[in-house]
Amino acid sequence: MTTETVVRLDGVRKEYGETAALDGVSLRIRRGEAVAVMGPSGCGKSTLLNMVAGLDRPTSGEVTVHGERLDLMSETRLALFRRHHLGMIFQFFNLLDDLSALDNVALAAQLTGSPAGTARRRALELFDELGIADRRDLYPAALSGGERQRVAVARALMNRPALLLADEPTGALDSRAGEQVMDLLIDLNQIGQTLLIVTHDERLAHRCASRLVEFADGRIAAESTLDRV
Amino acid sequence: MRAVWAAARAAVRRRRLQTFVIGLVAFLCTATVVVSLALLDATSTPFDRVFAAQRGAHAVAAFDRALVSDAQLTGAREGVAASAGPFAQATVSLESDDPGPWLRGPLRVVGRAAPDGDVDRLDVWQGRWATGPGEVVLNAVPADGERFAQGPLSAVSEVTVGGTTLRVVGWAWSVSASADAWATPAQVAQLDPAGTQMLYRFSGDVSSREAVRQRLSGVTTGLPGRSLLAAQPYQVMKDEAAETAGVYLPFLGPFGVLGLLVAVLIVGNVVSGAVVSGFRHIGVLKSLGFTPRQVVAVYLTMVSVPAVTGAVLGTALGVAGAYPLLSDTFRDLGYGQTGVPTWVWVAGLLGVPGLVLLTALVPARRAGRLSAAEAISAGSAPRRGRGLRVQRALSGTRLPRSVSLGLGLPFARPARTALTMASLLLGVITVTFATGLSGSLLRVAALGTEAGGDIGIRPGNPDFNETMSTRTHQEVEALLRGLPGTERIGISVTRSYAMVGQSSPVQVDFVRGDVAAMGHERQLIAGRWMSAPGEVVAPTEMANERGLKVGDTLTLEVAGDRMTVTLVGVTMMGLPGSGDDALFAPWREVPGATPDDYYYQVEVAEGTDLAGYMGAVRAADPGLSPWDNSGGDDVTPVVTTFATVLALLLATVAALGVLNTVALDVLDRRRDLGMLKSIGMTPRQVITMLVTSMAALGVVGGLLGIPFGLAAHRLVIPMAADSAKITLPDSVMAVWNPVTLALMVLCGVLIAVLGALLPARSAARLTIARVLHNE
Repeated sequence: MTTETVVRLDGVRKEYGETAALDGVSLRIRRGEAVAVMGPSGCGKSTLLNMVAGLDRPTSGEVTVHGERLDLMSETRLALFRRHHLGMIFQFFNLLDDLSALDNVALAAQLTGSPAGTARRRALELFDELGIADRRDLYPAALSGGERQRVAVARALMNRPALLLADEPTGALDSRAGEQVMDLLIDLNQIGQTLLIVTHDERLAHRCASRLVEFADGRIAAESTLDRV
Repeated sequence: MRAVWAAARAAVRRRRLQTFVIGLVAFLCTATVVVSLALLDATSTPFDRVFAAQRGAHAVAAFDRALVSDAQLTGAREGVAASAGPFAQATVSLESDDPGPWLRGPLRVVGRAAPDGDVDRLDVWQGRWATGPGEVVLNAVPADGERFAQGPLSAVSEVTVGGTTLRVVGWAWSVSASADAWATPAQVAQLDPAGTQMLYRFSGDVSSREAVRQRLSGVTTGLPGRSLLAAQPYQVMKDEAAETAGVYLPFLGPFGVLGLLVAVLIVGNVVSGAVVSGFRHIGVLKSLGFTPRQVVAVYLTMVSVPAVTGAVLGTALGVAGAYPLLSDTFRDLGYGQTGVPTWVWVAGLLGVPGLVLLTALVPARRAGRLSAAEAISAGSAPRRGRGLRVQRALSGTRLPRSVSLGLGLPFARPARTALTMASLLLGVITVTFATGLSGSLLRVAALGTEAGGDIGIRPGNPDFNETMSTRTHQEVEALLRGLPGTERIGISVTRSYAMVGQSSPVQVDFVRGDVAAMGHERQLIAGRWMSAPGEVVAPTEMANERGLKVGDTLTLEVAGDRMTVTLVGVTMMGLPGSGDDALFAPWREVPGATPDDYYYQVEVAEGTDLAGYMGAVRAADPGLSPWDNSGGDDVTPVVTTFATVLALLLATVAALGVLNTVALDVLDRRRDLGMLKSIGMTPRQVITMLVTSMAALGVVGGLLGIPFGLAAHRLVIPMAADSAKITLPDSVMAVWNPVTLALMVLCGVLIAVLGALLPARSAARLTIARVLHNE
């Protein structure tokens, strides 16, 4: 792990009408760290993820990821930034039903302008690495939950992101599939992938994260270093 | 019921965009339907409509005053539902100051105290009714203020009949053609009336001439023999009307049919889409305890609110738009004085909302039968992908991914795509047909205008108190050729001949100068232009009516002057001064022709001021009467205006169908769009993807629609020409070239892109966080 800061939030505040979802949050995530954010529903952890992913803008404060101020970027620049520097996985996978597993993954590279052949070759490498090569031609409806999430992880890794964001990555999976995804995240972190995981699942946080950030009422209530289980 | 209303009201408020789209579609479709139906009604039954409005006479009967008294006539009422009369009727000859070619020969003057009554309620469209001695009202088809002021009627201030000069105080129109002129009963009594007019509306069958004759025999039973001088059944006027108004039906009828089809398709697409996209909401309602019937009621109420609002506003717009168009169009034929018929109002107010409800009923009932869980999951559960092979093939292409994804989208929802495609197809057909129609009509008008020359000139007629030119026709030609701006001159003199083997006489225009070069030769439909004495060319209307064809030999005879000629060509129209019932023949001197028998048409150099040229003609010889001959025909502006308005309206409705489809796609694919944006799809790529999905349909719609539009054009123009009893030159149909055809394909794309752009832009602005976390 290096000391390079990948994510820096300074005094970030996000208001929805009268309600402040984030209230002056400041946070640093260094390259190679795996940070888990936990807290009760409505505490602001998903809003935090949205800020870091550039999916939403802060009402005030600064959001810097990979050295770039996301809060100052246009929608188009944000999209390009996400494309090249961020990978995201979601609780409900968010795969396109009309595309095969392989095409879902290749899509992320094709959006950057990669030719279809190059994108598919890179996708196949990831399928091999993630152990789902035999599922590449199936469509999402034919995959199990765990397989879908692996495909989603492959898609997130397609453009070699500086930061992998995971929003309740095991929330829609049974325990066995959840375990597999956890193992995958650990493996990724061990080879240097920076992770930010938002979860309710203490087990996930304690297995995958090296640092835990606890949220309450839009603020960081506690931070602690974890010894992975 | 309260719960249903509350849920429906909430749904309307929550789905503002969808409610707005349904309302807008209902509004435009209703307006289209009302204009289309009014158009179909006007073109198919113009006579019946005005006949009913005027309470026209089933029979106009003239009795011999010497044989039958007024009391006898009013007493004879067997089978009569209503009658008007007895009115004194005098048949008089117009004296020397004949007001013009539109009013010639014997004049039937009827004495009526008022224009209204139980039968033959006259439309006094200019001036007032005759109320005093020396006043007369003439019968003519209505013309609006400007046309009246510019036309020949406005110059007619008096007529002289039987030594009595009558002042023209008004103009009226009788669809029953009950008289040529009306005056007060006292005035007509002074004209020595020989007849008594009775106007009858009969009860019972009047569907045929024979049936009317039988009804009339019921009236004449008991009257002295031979007291009935003449009786005109209304079918005579109806047949005449069919010939004139019928020209419009092939032009405008297809727009009515296309309008109805587009309206049905779009409403079906929009409403079924609205219900299908609300399945999740339906599931929630059911989980709250709503019965299937209540669920159906909620959805029907939800779509009824914007549908009824749109229909009311659309009917108002349709009527407001149709009334002046139809009124202007058919008023010139005498059939425009009534408004949009009631049944069209009713169809507009009830038809589209009814159609909306029927369309909504099918998916709403399906939704009502779903279990709550099924309904809820219908909007969010993973779908079995559709169009998979297409997507797979597209993902391997070299196209930008946003484009290839867009091309695959239509395959995911084939039924919705088919409906959208159908509306695009009809939009393209309409625009293609309208373009072809307008192009052909403009070519016909251009040919007519070109052949008519810019300026028509006749020497003054001393009978009309006009100054008579003292110049010979050669001198007039020389004078005109010497005027600045003169480019071409055609000279004609007309003579009437009996044609051997034909009952009616024929006019022959002997022409010289530049007549052929002024456009008539270019109008040739068959054969060639005449090149030697003994050859003639006939206008197509004359050739069709008289059964003449190229190569026929005709024998013409007048006052011992007998000539045998060969028909060598058929042209689209005749000389403007003679109409379409005169043969062209090479020049020859006509003995006894007076100066005003000669007609000169002048084509001036481009940029010449016509008014200035006419002033120069008058200044050069006050005995010459020039007029501006550069105006087009009446049909072209009317039909091109209708075509443009309806094509724009239908293209807009088709674009709304696309808008609705894309809006529904965005709603269905919110999660996918959010995901795509989360992995780096830019707003521009989102717009590109969604617009491409519809532009592809636009291309296909354009390619498929163009042949149908061309076929409609190829079918309709000759049909309209047949109605007008003319044949058109091939050049009139040749309005298409690769550029215009490419433009038609682009038109399909344009409709699709314009419809898709708005929802695509809103999709590009979707907040990803809200979409992805709102599972």
